[in-house]
Amino acid sequence: MFEVNELILKRAKELGFGDVVVLSYEQSRRQVRFANNEITVAKNWHTQKVELFVEYQKRLASTTLTALDEATIDKALQTLLKSVKNLAPKEDYYGIAEGPFKYKDIPGTFDKAIVELDEPNEYVEVAINAALEEGAKRVAGVLYTDYNKLYLSTSNGIEAFDEGTGIEISVRAFIGDEESGHGTNSVRILKKFDPESAGRKAGEIAKLATNPIQGEAGTFDVIFDPLAFANLLSYMSFMTSAFAVEAGFSFLVGKLGQKVANEKVSIKDVGDMPNAYGTRKFDDEGVPTKETNIIENGILKTYLLNTSFARKYKTETTANAGLLMPQAWNIYLEPGDYSKDEIFGEVKHGIYITNVWYTRFQNYVTGDFSTIPRDGAFLIENGEITKPIRNIRVSDNFQHILESITALGKDLYHVHWWEVATPVFTPYVLVKNVGITKATK
Amino acid sequence: MHELVEFAVEKAQELGASYAEARFEEKDGTELVMKNGNPEGLGILAEKGMGIRVIVNGGMGFASTNVLTKESVLEAVKKAVKLAKAAAKLRNKPIQFSDEDFHQVFYEVKMKKDFRDISAEEKMEYLKLIEEKVRETGINVPMRFLRYGDFMWHKIFMNNEGAFVESLIPRVSVMYNLVVFEEGQMEQAPFVQRAFSGGLELIEKDQPWEWAVKDVKALQNLIKEGQKPPEGKVDVVISPEVAGIAVHESVGHPYELDRIMGREAAQAGESFVKPTMLGERIGSDVVTVIEDPTVPNSWGFYLYDDEGVKARPRYLIKNGIINEFLMNREYAAYLGMKSNASARAINYNREPIVRMANTYLAPGDYTFEELIEDIKLGVYMVSFNEWNIDDRRFQQRYIGREAYLIENGEIKHPVRKPILEITTKGLWSSVDAVGKDVEFYPGTCGKGEPGQGVPVWMGGPHARLREVVLRR
Repeated sequence: MFEVNELILKRAKELGFGDVVVLSYEQSRRQVRFANNEITVAKNWHTQKVELFVEYQKRLASTTLTALDEATIDKALQTLLKSVKNLAPKEDYYGIAEGPFKYKDIPGTFDKAIVELDEPNEYVEVAINAALEEGAKRVAGVLYTDYNKLYLSTSNGIEAFDEGTGIEISVRAFIGDEESGHGTNSVRILKKFDPESAGRKAGEIAKLATNPIQGEAGTFDVIFDPLAFANLLSYMSFMTSAFAVEAGFSFLVGKLGQKVANEKVSIKDVGDMPNAYGTRKFDDEGVPTKETNIIENGILKTYLLNTSFARKYKTETTANAGLLMPQAWNIYLEPGDYSKDEIFGEVKHGIYITNVWYTRFQNYVTGDFSTIPRDGAFLIENGEITKPIRNIRVSDNFQHILESITALGKDLYHVHWWEVATPVFTPYVLVKNVGITKATK
Repeated sequence: MHELVEFAVEKAQELGASYAEARFEEKDGTELVMKNGNPEGLGILAEKGMGIRVIVNGGMGFASTNVLTKESVLEAVKKAVKLAKAAAKLRNKPIQFSDEDFHQVFYEVKMKKDFRDISAEEKMEYLKLIEEKVRETGINVPMRFLRYGDFMWHKIFMNNEGAFVESLIPRVSVMYNLVVFEEGQMEQAPFVQRAFSGGLELIEKDQPWEWAVKDVKALQNLIKEGQKPPEGKVDVVISPEVAGIAVHESVGHPYELDRIMGREAAQAGESFVKPTMLGERIGSDVVTVIEDPTVPNSWGFYLYDDEGVKARPRYLIKNGIINEFLMNREYAAYLGMKSNASARAINYNREPIVRMANTYLAPGDYTFEELIEDIKLGVYMVSFNEWNIDDRRFQQRYIGREAYLIENGEIKHPVRKPILEITTKGLWSSVDAVGKDVEFYPGTCGKGEPGQGVPVWMGGPHARLREVVLRR
C-alpha cells in the first residue's frame, strides 16, 4: 500500500498541492449478532480504501478512494484541484506536522490468534449461557473481531505503519420486558477475552431488576456504573475537540484554565494505551500518540488539538489529528481509592444506574442534557440496594455532573459498544444531587 | 456491474444458498463546511462496493467488499455462505422469508438543476448566503457552523427470486448550527437541516437562509422576551416539526417489527408494542399516522426497498387504532404476512434492516386559528431542542426551543423551554384536533449494528393536545 501512497503524493505534488495526507486502510471485520438466544446474522467485511487530505493555497479538500489504479487516482486528484482552486481559502489554516517521527510499539494491540481465529461463535454461546445461568430468559448482543492495517504517508516526510486486532462482545439479558441488564468486554488480545463476564454481569443485573416500581422525580445522589458513566464521557470526548469548541458544540468553550469539575476529577486522552480499542501509534498527521491531560484536578488544561489548531493557539499539538478535526482516542477518568462497597456506603438515599442511552443536549454550549437509564436501576437506602425502579430520566447539566463527583472507585473498566463510540476507561462514580425526572401522563 | 451482481447471486446458489441477494451501491457527491465565516474545506464522496446476503440451512450470512473484481466478489460470497452455515448451527428456528411479487425495474429521480453541473464555488454560495442573511439581522451570532451536502446514490439489487431493481436517487441537504448571544445568555439552534431527494432547485425553493433568519430572530426574542411557561395542566399545540419528531419516535420506531421481535434488543432496544396489539386503541380517533417512502422529493424517498419489494404508504395507526407494523421479509414471515417494503441499508457494507422513510401525522380539517381559538391557557410549541425516549419507545420528552403562551385563544409572549415529558399513550390519547397543513422535516435515523443513519422525513400538521402536564 505504501506504493499507492507514494504514487498519490507524487501526483499531488506535480499538480501543485502543498500539504497532502494519505491514509490507506486494509480492514477485515467479522460480526456475529444474536437475539432471543440465537444467532440472527453473521457478517464479514473486507475493505480497502485510501483517505486523502489535500491543501492548495490554504484551500482544503478531502476524499476517499476505493479503486486504486493510476487512472482513478489521477482523475480524483484533478477533480479535487478543479473543485478547490476557486474556493475561498481557510485563513486560519496553519498546516500539518513536520516529520519524520519515531514510533514506539504499543504492547497489547496486535494478536495473531485473532487473525487466525476461524469461527468466533463459541464465544457467543459462552456469553448466552452465562446470562441464562444467572436467571436470564432472553439474551441478545453482538460480537466483533477486527484486524486493521494502517499506512500513512504525508507530504512532510512522514511514513508510518500500524497494525491492530480486537475482539469484543456486548450482551443484554432480559427476564421480562422491563427487567434487563447489560455487560460488555472489549480487548485487543484473544487470551484476555472474557465473554462469560459480560454475559454474567448482564444476567445478574437483570435478575436483580425483577419487578421494578415507578421511580420518583427529584434530586438524588447517583452511583453510575462504569457502563453508564462511559456513555457520558464518550459524548464529552467530542466536546473536548477544539473544532467542537469553535463550532458551538461544547460546554467547555471559554473555560481554559478554569475549574470545570470537582478537584478529585482528572480526565485524560490516552492514544497509546495498551489493550485499548481506540489506541493508535500515531495520529492522522503522523504525530506519535501520547497521554494528554484534558482536565486535571478539576481544571480544564487543554482542548484536543491537531497541528493547525495548535499553531493557531500558539501551543503544541496533542496528537489528536483526525483527517478533518481533532478527535479523542481513549478517554481515561482517573480512578479514586474507593471500593465498590465503600461507594455504596456513602449513599444514604440515592439511585444506582447501570446503563443509559439516548443522551441528548438541550444546549451544547451550556451543557444542559438528559439521558435515559436503561437496564437495571435501583434505589439505594443506607448503602444497600433496596428495590429496582424504572421509567426515570437523568436531567442535568454536564458541568454540574463533573463538579458534583464526590467518590471514584479504584477499579477501571474498559467500555466500548454501540452507545459508547469513543472507548472509555472509567471507575464507578458517585455524583451528588443529580436531577431525575419522569413522565407526567 | 450488472454482470458482477448476477455473478454473485449465481455463485451463492452454487455454493448452497437457498436465498441469495447482491446489492451494488455507489455514492458520488460533495460536502462543504463553513465555520464562523471560514470555509473549512471540501469533501468529495466517491464510494462504491457490494454487499451479499445469503441464507443457508436457515442461517443468515452477510459479506461485503469494495474491491470490485470477480475474485474479490467470489471471496465475499464464500465468506457469506460459510458464515450462514455456521450461524445455522446456533439457531433454534430457521430463517424464512415472506413470499413476494418481484419486478425488474429501473427508476430515477430527475433534477431540474443537476448538482453535478455546478462547481463547488457555486455551491458554497448557498452557505455564504446564510452567513450574509444572518449577519444582516444585526443579531450577535458568534458561533455559526454550516454544511452543504449532495450525493447521487446509485443502487443495483438482484436476488435469486426474480427481483432486479436499479435506482438513481440524488440527495441534497443544508445544515446549520447557530448560537445567539444576547444579554449574557446563549441560545442555540443546533443541527437544523433542510434536505430533499432531487436537485438544487429544491434548496433554492426552500431557502434555508430564511429558515436561519427566522431561527436567530426567534432565539433573540426568546432571550429578550421569554418568560417561564405555565406549569401543570394546560393545552398544548404542537407544530408540524414537533408532531414529526413525536410520530417518528413514538410511532415509527416502536412499530418496527424487528424491534418488536427482539432483534435490536441489545442496541436500539425493543418495543412496548407487541404483535397481539394489532387492532388495539393507542390514541384518539383523530390520530392517523402514515409512513410513506413514495412521497416525491422526500429525504426518505424510494420506490423499491433494499429487498426488492415495491413500496407503498403504510398506515401505522388508523383513527387511533394500531393498524400495521413496518416489516421486512424476514419478520413479515414470522407473522405470516407480506413485507411492506421497509428494508433499508445505508451503504453496500450494511445489511438491509427494518427502517422508516417518511413518517407523518395525517391531516385533519382544522385551520391553525381554529386549533387555538378555544384554548384558555396553553402553549404553542414551534420547535424543539432536546428530545429523547426510552428504548421501548414509551417514555419520551420534548423540550421547546421556540414556544409561546396561548391565552384566551391568542398567541402571547415567548416561553422558555417548556418540557413535555409524557408517555406514548398519554400523548396520542390527548390529541383532540388536527390541522390541515402538512409539513415535513428531515432527520438522520440511527439504528442497526454497526450503526446505520438513514435519511428520513417526519412531520404532519399542527395538532392540539388537551390537558397535558407541562414542566419547566
